[in-house]
Amino acid sequence: MSPSIVEVVNVSREVAWLPWAVQYFFLIGLSVGSFLLTLPWFVLRWPAWERVSRIALLGALACGLTAPVALLADLHQPGRFLNFYLHPNLGSWMAWGAFFIPLYLGGLVLYAWLVLRPDLKRLADAGGRWAGAYRAFAYGGHDSVGAIRIAAVLALAGAALVALYTGMEVMVVSARPLWDTPFLPVQFFITAVAGAIGLVLVLDRFVGDGRAAAEAPLLRLLAATQVLVLAVGAAWLLLGISGLSPRHAEALAQVAPSAAWQITAVWAAGSALVTLWLAVRHPEWRLAAGLIALHSAWMMRWTVFIGGQEIPKTGAGYYVYHLPLGHEGMLGIVGTAGLWIAVLILLISVLPWAGQRRAQA
Amino acid sequence: MSDDTLFQSRRAFLQALPAITAGVALPMSTARAAEGKHHWAMLVDVRKCIGCQACTVSCIMENAVPENSFRTIVSTYAVQQEVDGQMTASTYMLPRLCNHCDNPPCVPVCPVGATFKRDDGIVVVDGDRCVGCAYCVQACPYDARFINHDTNKADKCTFCAHRVDAGLLPACVETCVGGARIFGDLNDPQGELRRRLDAAKNADAIKVLKPESGTRPNVFYIGLDPRFQGRVEGQAAMWQPNAHGG
Repeated sequence: MSPSIVEVVNVSREVAWLPWAVQYFFLIGLSVGSFLLTLPWFVLRWPAWERVSRIALLGALACGLTAPVALLADLHQPGRFLNFYLHPNLGSWMAWGAFFIPLYLGGLVLYAWLVLRPDLKRLADAGGRWAGAYRAFAYGGHDSVGAIRIAAVLALAGAALVALYTGMEVMVVSARPLWDTPFLPVQFFITAVAGAIGLVLVLDRFVGDGRAAAEAPLLRLLAATQVLVLAVGAAWLLLGISGLSPRHAEALAQVAPSAAWQITAVWAAGSALVTLWLAVRHPEWRLAAGLIALHSAWMMRWTVFIGGQEIPKTGAGYYVYHLPLGHEGMLGIVGTAGLWIAVLILLISVLPWAGQRRAQA
Repeated sequence: MSDDTLFQSRRAFLQALPAITAGVALPMSTARAAEGKHHWAMLVDVRKCIGCQACTVSCIMENAVPENSFRTIVSTYAVQQEVDGQMTASTYMLPRLCNHCDNPPCVPVCPVGATFKRDDGIVVVDGDRCVGCAYCVQACPYDARFINHDTNKADKCTFCAHRVDAGLLPACVETCVGGARIFGDLNDPQGELRRRLDAAKNADAIKVLKPESGTRPNVFYIGLDPRFQGRVEGQAAMWQPNAHGG
C-alpha cells in the first residue's frame, strides 16, 4: 500500500456471487467426492470398503440433491434456470454446467437405485407396512452388475464433467488473478475429495457403526489428500514468490499485504497439517480429522469466492464484506444446511443404505 | 462541426447552439452521426475533469440506477508527491464507466447470451434473458458491472444507448461541466472524437485502462496517470455502500 495515494471517492462493488455459490460449490464437490468413494464397494466389490461406500452413497445423494437448490437461489429467481436451456451460450462454462449437473445427478440417482435394489428387495421381504412399495421400487431386486457398471460410468462421466466445469468456470475469470490459475480446479477437486472423506467419517460416527475407517484405508487416503493440498498450495506460493509466473505473482501481491489473508493462509495450511497429523497418528480422533477436513473444504471455497470478490479490480485496498443475516447471507447458509439435514434424514429413513445389517436390524 | 454530425461534447454543443436555433425545424436525422456503420466510443480528458460527479448523478437519474449502485463514477484520489523537492498534495479525478471493449470478457462467459455487443460497438444486457448469475460481473476487469437490486439482473453503462439511438448524447456527456467527456463515432473522420483521437495519437497521449488485459476498450483517456491505469496501489476508499441490499 502506497501512502502517497488515498482513495477518497470510489464505488465499492458488492459481492455478486453470494454465499449461495459457496454452498453450491461445497455441496456439489462433496457429492462428487462421495460418489467416488462409493465405487470401491458397489462397482469394484472390495469388501473392506462396504461401510465406506454405503455411507458415501448417502453423502453423495444428500449433497447432490441439495446443491442445485443453492445454485438456483443464487439466480435470485429460480425460474430463470429455464433460460439456461432455452438460450444456451455454449462458449460459457456455466452454460455447460446446466447440462453436466443433470447428467451427473441423473447418473447418480440411477446408480444409487441399481446398487440398492437387492437391499430394497430384502426390505420388502422382511415385511411391514411399506413392503409393497419397496417391492415395487426394487423392481425384481436384481444385483445387475452390468447395469450398475453402466450407470457408474454415466455418473462418473457426469462427476468428472461437474468437477471440470466448476473448476474451469472460476479459473477462466482472468479479471481476478487469484482465480486465474490452473491450480484452482485441482484445489477444488482435492479439497472436495478430502471433504467427502471427512463427511464419511462424520456420518460414520453419527449414523454408522463407527467402523468405516477400521477396514478401509480411509485415513491414509485422507492423509494423501492433505499432502496434495499442501503440495499444490506450496507450488502456487512458489510460483508467486519466485515470479516464474507473473499471473501468480500478481495474485500473491494482491493478497499478501492483507493481515486477514495472511491469517487465512496460515489457517488453511495449519488445518491441512492438523488433519494430516490426526489421520496418520491418531486414528481414534478420526471424527475430529473428518470435521476439520469438511471445514477446510468449505473454508477454501469461502476464501476463494467471498475473499476473492473483496479484492477490487481497479480500486485501492480491499472491499469490506459483512455477512448479511438475511437470505443473501447467513440465512442462505443455514437454510442450505437445514435442507441438507432434512434430505439426509429422509434418505436414512427411507433407503436401506446400510444393506443387510440394516435389513436384519 | 458539420450539421450531420452528432455533437460530441457539451462544449461543441454550446458552440453550435446558434446553428441549432436556426435549424430547429430540420428533422431529427440531422443530429445523427455520419451515415454508415457507427462505432461509438468515448474520450475522457482527465485534465478537464473537476470531480463534480455531475455525470454520476445524471447517469443515475437518466437510467434509474438504484441507490448505492453506479454505472459511472468519478474515482477521486488524494495524491501526495514530491515536486521540485517539496511535498505537494493534489487531487486526481478518474471517470470510470463500462469500456465497451472490442474484446469484451463479459460476453463469452454469459451462459445465456444475454450480454452482447451491438453492431455499433455498444455492449448491452438483454434484461429479458439475463438470469442474474453475475458471471459477467466477475469477468469484467473494470468492476463496471453490478447486480441491480431492483431487477436482480446484471447492470452496466450502455453509453445511454436509448439516447444515442434517438440522436442524443449520453447523459454523462451532456452534463459534464468541464467538457471532459467526448462521445462520438470512431468511423466518422470529421467527428470531434476521431479528430481528437488522431491529434492526440501523434503525441502518444491516448491511453486506455488495463491495456495488458487485451480487452481493447472503446473508452480512451487523455492525461491518464499510469499509476491509475490498472488497480490503484493506495489506501482504500473512505466511503463505501453501507448495505448489501442497497
